[in-house]
Amino acid sequence: MDLETADMNTALMVDGNAIAGELEQIFGHDMTMAVARCAGCASDSKMATLMAFVRGPGVVLRCPSCQSVIARIVETPTATYLDARGMVYLRMAQTS
Amino acid sequence: MPALEWQVGTVTAIHPETPKTKSLFVALPAWTGHRPGQHIDLRLTAPDGYQTQRSYSIASPPELAKQLELTVDLIPDGEVSPYLHDVVMQGDQLELRGPVGGYFVWDVTVGGPLLLVGGGSGVVPLMAMLRHRAAQHSTIPARLLYSARTPDDVIYRDELDQLARAGGGLEVLFTFTRQAPAGWTGYRRRIDAAMMNEVVKPLANGARTYVCGPTLLVESVANLLVGMGLPAERVHTERFGPTGS
Repeated sequence: MDLETADMNTALMVDGNAIAGELEQIFGHDMTMAVARCAGCASDSKMATLMAFVRGPGVVLRCPSCQSVIARIVETPTATYLDARGMVYLRMAQTS
Repeated sequence: MPALEWQVGTVTAIHPETPKTKSLFVALPAWTGHRPGQHIDLRLTAPDGYQTQRSYSIASPPELAKQLELTVDLIPDGEVSPYLHDVVMQGDQLELRGPVGGYFVWDVTVGGPLLLVGGGSGVVPLMAMLRHRAAQHSTIPARLLYSARTPDDVIYRDELDQLARAGGGLEVLFTFTRQAPAGWTGYRRRIDAAMMNEVVKPLANGARTYVCGPTLLVESVANLLVGMGLPAERVHTERFGPTGS
C-alpha cells in the first residue's frame, strides 16, 4: 500500500482479525488462519491479513496484494449472506 | 461443533489507565480460557432492542482465570467506548463472546526471540503476551517498541517498567511522537526505518514479530520489517483502524 496516498478509507480499514467472531459464527471454528486464494491475482492470504472494511452495512474483504474484493458478508435480521466469489478457494487445516 | 456463545460477565473493577483509557475487569464464570493476543466481541443492547458490537483485545494473560481485563480507548464520538467509559460501573453486566482470533497469538510455546511493536492502545494484546511471558517465568528475549503521543498516553507504564526492571530478558523502548518528557534521550518521532533497524538489531532476524495499532502505523511498520528481510510469515499484524482522536 502506498501510504503517501492513504486516504480516509485506508485509515478506517482494519483487517480480518476484526471479524474473527463473525467468521467463527458462520463457519463454526476460527477462520483467521484459513488461507484464501484471490480470484483476481491468485495470491494466498490468511484471512486475518485480508483488508477489512467494516463501517458499511456489511463487511467487505479485499486482497492485500491486488485489493480485489474477496468476499462480502451481510447480516440481516433473519439471515447471513456470504458472497465469496472473489476467492478461488479457501484452505482450512484439518483439526483433530 | 460448539457455537460461539454470547455470555454475560460482571464488571468487578474499573481502573483508569490514562486520561483516555480505562481497564475493565470482567468476571466470567463460563470462560474457558484464551491465548495471549486474542480478543472478544462485546455487544450492547439498547432498551429498544438496537444492538451494536465492537471487538476489544484481552489485556490479561490466560493465567488470570475466569476473569478478563479489557483496556478500552475512549473514542469521543464513538458508539460503544463512551458507554464503557462513562456509564458502566462496578457490578454492571456486559455481554460478550470469545475468545476469537487464532492468528495474532503468541505464547511461550511459539518461542522467540519476540519483537512487539505497539502504537497507542495497540499495546493491549501485546501486554497480554508480556504478562503471560512473565507469569511463565520465561526468559525468551523480548523487545517492546511502544509508540505514544505523550508520556501521559502510555498505558501500563508502571507495570512495563517493573517487567523490564525484573531482568528476564525484556527490554521496553518508547517513542513519543508529540511530546517527550523533560530530559528524554530516547526516541521522539514516528517509527521509521532507522529506528526499526536499531530495535530489530539485537534480536536475531527470525524474531517472531507482532505489530498492533492504528492501521497506518501497522502498514508502515510491517512494510519496514519485510523490507528489512524479516520473513513475512513471522510478521503478524493487527489493525485497529483510525487513531482515537
